[in-house]
Amino acid sequence: MTDSIVELSHVTKRFGDFTAVSDLSFALERGSILGFLGPNGAGKTTTLRMMLGILAPDEGSIRVLGRDISEVRNRIGYLPEERGLYKRMRADAAIAYIATLKGMDRAPAFARARELLQGFGLGDFAQVRIEGLSKGMAQKVQVLAAIAHNPEFVILDEPFSGLDPVNQSELESFIRREAQSGKTILFSTHTMQHAERLCDRLIVLAKGRKRFEGTLDEARSLLPRRARLAADGDLAFLASVPGVAAVTPGTPYWTVDLKEGADGRELLAACFRNGVPLSHFDTAPPGLHDVFVSLVGGEAA
Amino acid sequence: MRQVWLIARQEFIKYVTRRGFALSILMFPLWIVIVTMVPKWTGAESDTPRSHVYTVIDRSGGGFETVLACMPMRETDESWLEGAQHYAATLTDRAKLPNIATLHTSSPCGPAPDRPAIEAALNAARKPGAPAFAGLDGGPSLTFIGAPDYLRAAGNSEFAAAARRALSDAVPLDTIVVLSKDFGAGTDVEIWTNDRDPDFRDLIRSTLTRELRFRAVRRAAPGFDDRAALELSASVHVQDPTAAASGSFITDQVISIALAVILFVVSVMNSSVLLQGVIEEKSTRMVEVLLSCATPREITAGKLIGVIAVAITTLLIWGLILLLMMSVASADQAAQVLGSLRAAASLQTMPLLLLYFLGGLLIYGSLFLAIGSMANSLADAQSLLGPSMLILMLPNLMISGVIHDPNGPLATWLTFVPIYTPFFMMLRIASHPPVWQVWSASLLIVVTTIVMVQWSGRVFARHILSTERPPALGRILAGILRR
Repeated sequence: MTDSIVELSHVTKRFGDFTAVSDLSFALERGSILGFLGPNGAGKTTTLRMMLGILAPDEGSIRVLGRDISEVRNRIGYLPEERGLYKRMRADAAIAYIATLKGMDRAPAFARARELLQGFGLGDFAQVRIEGLSKGMAQKVQVLAAIAHNPEFVILDEPFSGLDPVNQSELESFIRREAQSGKTILFSTHTMQHAERLCDRLIVLAKGRKRFEGTLDEARSLLPRRARLAADGDLAFLASVPGVAAVTPGTPYWTVDLKEGADGRELLAACFRNGVPLSHFDTAPPGLHDVFVSLVGGEAA
Repeated sequence: MRQVWLIARQEFIKYVTRRGFALSILMFPLWIVIVTMVPKWTGAESDTPRSHVYTVIDRSGGGFETVLACMPMRETDESWLEGAQHYAATLTDRAKLPNIATLHTSSPCGPAPDRPAIEAALNAARKPGAPAFAGLDGGPSLTFIGAPDYLRAAGNSEFAAAARRALSDAVPLDTIVVLSKDFGAGTDVEIWTNDRDPDFRDLIRSTLTRELRFRAVRRAAPGFDDRAALELSASVHVQDPTAAASGSFITDQVISIALAVILFVVSVMNSSVLLQGVIEEKSTRMVEVLLSCATPREITAGKLIGVIAVAITTLLIWGLILLLMMSVASADQAAQVLGSLRAAASLQTMPLLLLYFLGGLLIYGSLFLAIGSMANSLADAQSLLGPSMLILMLPNLMISGVIHDPNGPLATWLTFVPIYTPFFMMLRIASHPPVWQVWSASLLIVVTTIVMVQWSGRVFARHILSTERPPALGRILAGILRR
């Protein structure tokens, strides 16, 4: 825990009678990417705001970069869920303004803003007001504003919302590069594919409580391995095959849940033995989407 | 502190680059033109002679009080004679006419012109077909009254207060002419007046000049063409102390009203922009970014300082425009406005005016900032702004009552309603309220400002991230009082 960037210890936050976050503890190591997952109302944004010092926890403690948050504000970067920019500000001024608030001097802040815009292919739009940019461009400007002061810890709240697939891919690469350069990234998202591709670790919240913390593989191991089969005949006989936990009919695929250690070869052999020709067969680990649904399925707000 | 400065700077730039700011700047000269020209266009203000009720304090012992007391009769005679002279010049055969100027009296209190004789002479010499002469009285309506005893008894040190009292008493007195002990030896005449009518001032000047000449001629007789006597006019200089010193007079009051109304307009105008800005920041989540960089206290301080900077910039530009407009106005009008401005904002009152202005701006700004942080949209804000504006507008409806009696009970009571104190003190400052009221009101403004700024900071921190509906006005007031 010595190299932890963030440490939350038994944090609880209430708003009146409503408990938004309950007894939450986790730590985040330097240079890692943490995915913060949860349905609406799970307490993600409240937790992020507490990590930024915007809200104070009612119970528990939060240490960021080994200190109290008020001492390290300038070493944290933050991207809010929506476009937190002044509409009438120019793109370079918007980035430089946040950077100066985070401690940079004005001239270097402007130089850094232009350099970042250039690097993101927005060099020609540096002088354009935010209201004149497309949603994707404005989102990029917002991301750049969050990291212009070169923070050690970056919090991104739904960074992919509103971006087209190409821009999403660009942003994924950018997040990876920032992590490789030593920054620690925490981002919240509803989109499981981004979390699967980017995160070293995941935390799943539901109704203010932590439901899971671990790596992607650890998350997948929560659900049994599955096989999908397609055939003209009835496949219910597969339930008697050793290593099979359950068989679920479907169109066009039947789904077979496998017990731990079992693989799909017994299924193929059983079909061959029963003279059922298969038109499709595959086995794959469960997706994060399935894990997420199984963890919080009944508790989405 | 750095965060406060950066936020204030950003707020300033954000507001002064809005179209609305340029419009408000441009509207000012238009407003001045409307305020000054509409009364003339509508006939509410005309060039007809004004009425005056005046008194004289003559400390010279030279009998000038009598001379000035005779001025109304003299003016009537002068006016009648002017009509006669005009008739003589245009409608009579001059060869048949005696020189009517010789009938003109030399002293203001000398014998009146022999109107029947002059009328008969003019009618006898009139051209064929010309109408008969019928003299008309004209000129200003003048009424002389004796000075009240307290005014007559007042020494130099207490005279200013006594003069103000006399001019604000129920007695319809609008001008006090004061001749010093040394009048006639080059000392100026002081005129204390509620109505700076340049014609009346010239009339006093010319009457006294003529009397001095008349006396010099009598002394020098028979040298009637004595040049020294003719140059006497230069020795009479009418000084108007109300232009240089403080005084409770109509023009000064107009300036005070203007300052108070400007305080209200500038405060509400800039505070409204502040409110809109906060709602915009809340809806775009920009406020979350700010909160990740600075504390709520730093953000509210920065925003209020930004608004003060915008308000001061607005006033400076308006002042510049006023100076430009005055440079093209007549010298007399410009001197009058400058004199009144100096009277309303002297070296003694300037720090107080600044305190009232900043206090008022911060009180209104804090209130609007708090409303903005409680509202999720402009529609939400309207539900709180409506009743708030009704409360804030109240002083404007009370102006006439306070102006009528600036140091009376109504003015005093309203002054000590905390959120109205800056407005009413600005309105009353030219009327010299009692010193204890100035001090206690100033203290009240400081305390109210501190309470409101702290309260708005707490409301901002509590509500800025909330998406709940704004609380009812009663709960807000309870929050302020509970502090």
